[in-house]
Amino acid sequence: MTERLGRLSTRELRDRLGDGAAQVVDARPIDAWNGWRLRGEPRGGHIPGARALPAKWSGYLDWIEIVRSKGIRPDREVVLYGYDEDEIARVAERFRGAGYERLAAYDGFMAEWSPDEALPLDRLARHEHLVPASWLADRLPAGGGAADGGLVLCHAHYRNRGDYEKGHIPGALPLDTLLLESPETWNRRSPDEVREALLGLGITAGSTVVLYGRYSFPDNRDPFPGSSAGQLAAFRCAFIMLWAGVRDVRVLNGGFQSWTDAGLEVSTEEPQARPASEFGADVPGAPELAADLPEAKEILASPDANLVSVRSWPEYIGEVSGYNYIEKTGRIPGSVFGNCGSDAYHMENYRNLDHTTREYHEIAAAWESAGITPDRRNAFYCGTGWRGSEAFFNAWLMGWPRVAVYDGGWFEWSSDPANPFETGVPPGHAA
Amino acid sequence: MTGAQTEGRSIEAAQDGIVAELGGIDDLMEKYEHLIRLGRELRVPGPDIRRDEHSVAGCQSRVWIRTELRDGRLHIAADSDATITRGIIALLLRVFDGRTPDEILATELRVFEATGLQAQLSPARANGLVAMVRRIRQEAAAATGG
Repeated sequence: MTERLGRLSTRELRDRLGDGAAQVVDARPIDAWNGWRLRGEPRGGHIPGARALPAKWSGYLDWIEIVRSKGIRPDREVVLYGYDEDEIARVAERFRGAGYERLAAYDGFMAEWSPDEALPLDRLARHEHLVPASWLADRLPAGGGAADGGLVLCHAHYRNRGDYEKGHIPGALPLDTLLLESPETWNRRSPDEVREALLGLGITAGSTVVLYGRYSFPDNRDPFPGSSAGQLAAFRCAFIMLWAGVRDVRVLNGGFQSWTDAGLEVSTEEPQARPASEFGADVPGAPELAADLPEAKEILASPDANLVSVRSWPEYIGEVSGYNYIEKTGRIPGSVFGNCGSDAYHMENYRNLDHTTREYHEIAAAWESAGITPDRRNAFYCGTGWRGSEAFFNAWLMGWPRVAVYDGGWFEWSSDPANPFETGVPPGHAA
Repeated sequence: MTGAQTEGRSIEAAQDGIVAELGGIDDLMEKYEHLIRLGRELRVPGPDIRRDEHSVAGCQSRVWIRTELRDGRLHIAADSDATITRGIIALLLRVFDGRTPDEILATELRVFEATGLQAQLSPARANGLVAMVRRIRQEAAAATGG
């Protein structure tokens, strides 16, 4: 297929990048785009400006909708690169089928671009903490059993053990979010409780923890929609563990979906946890990652800080509370809108169509248009902290230095009648 | 009286018809464009359906489903802000619109697997399909008092 494509040399590609004429498309897996060196290339990352369009997505019927959402236009040249001919060919075929005629291939990424220190590459600053399924598979012991070598793998869920029991990644321990957050406040539990919970799972400050969950169609009409939002639960646990002081917390990119997409084995055997006795550091080890009510109020009054509402538009304008256990509707006055997606249990605006995390440039661009920038202190919140945790984790992956979760969120804020609130479309926003 | 979308065919005949129509299209872009055509042709209700009480969360695009029980049959109106999703809605309505709630609840929906759509849609959009089917079944169950 690619023999019919024009070829660009490394120099030609550099020139095209310089004049901004080409739309460069990276056909490698999303994790390679993020910075993982999946094929042992000397330097990881993507060619600056390249849009992630993994060959894996070429199998989707609605592929063209992804292309359009990224603003890739047929009237301008599209330059494709990948690890190999096959990736380039699969994506090129879809572009051709969709009427894109100005296609070219760059096949020098492995041999010339990656090894050449003089050529620029961009990567997600902390991409090592957003792991591909292949990396995880290489670290699990053959034949099952708990992961070893300081790695603890957790299948996150909320009061839904059946979600774990029906099939999980071999070696994963079930982790109910209730172990780490309180069912009264929905905030993280006390430092002592969190430490004990982590020790019970065998997690210490020096552990490597990998978290993932399963997305299984949360419906806001269910009594417990969070029970079906497993990957959101994984981000929630990741935030609490980072706050507690676990130094190496990672999330499986795309959660359980990525594991099964890769054709990897699923288990129904539950390994024995190997509890630890000493955490090895004070809890919390990173208290600055959590903002509580007094700080949330300081942030609202500060000229260089944002309280970011990671909620849906109907919640933000006060049409719905978003939760069957929260009555009040509205938003915190002065909060900025970090639009999550469709409702309290969905994060479409932060994810790709296969549940992997969206291109960080796209997330950062949406944030920037709302005034959410890395030079400010940004505290992300939602109803009770799950969506806020996923948005926080994204900013943390990007290496933003002053990020936090406002843990109490709308649930805590709205429970005190003395706290002001607003409804309706805020001035300056399009309805 | 049967629903406007089902044209008097039984549920199983409607499913067979969809499988015959879509199952033979191998090219993904052609299949996509077929869904887009169906989406454009879908007779959508007026804008008043686009209310929060009718919205279905979990779809990549916004979806609204409104049902009404008339003469023992569940009449379904649905809309989306995405044309491809309207195409999927068109298929769902051919199967379910104008059926009795018992028929809806007793039917095994096989068209999406048999046409390959379930596997070929991106996971997020396939999730939306699950959410829509679940909503229709919930409405059918509610209509039977279940």
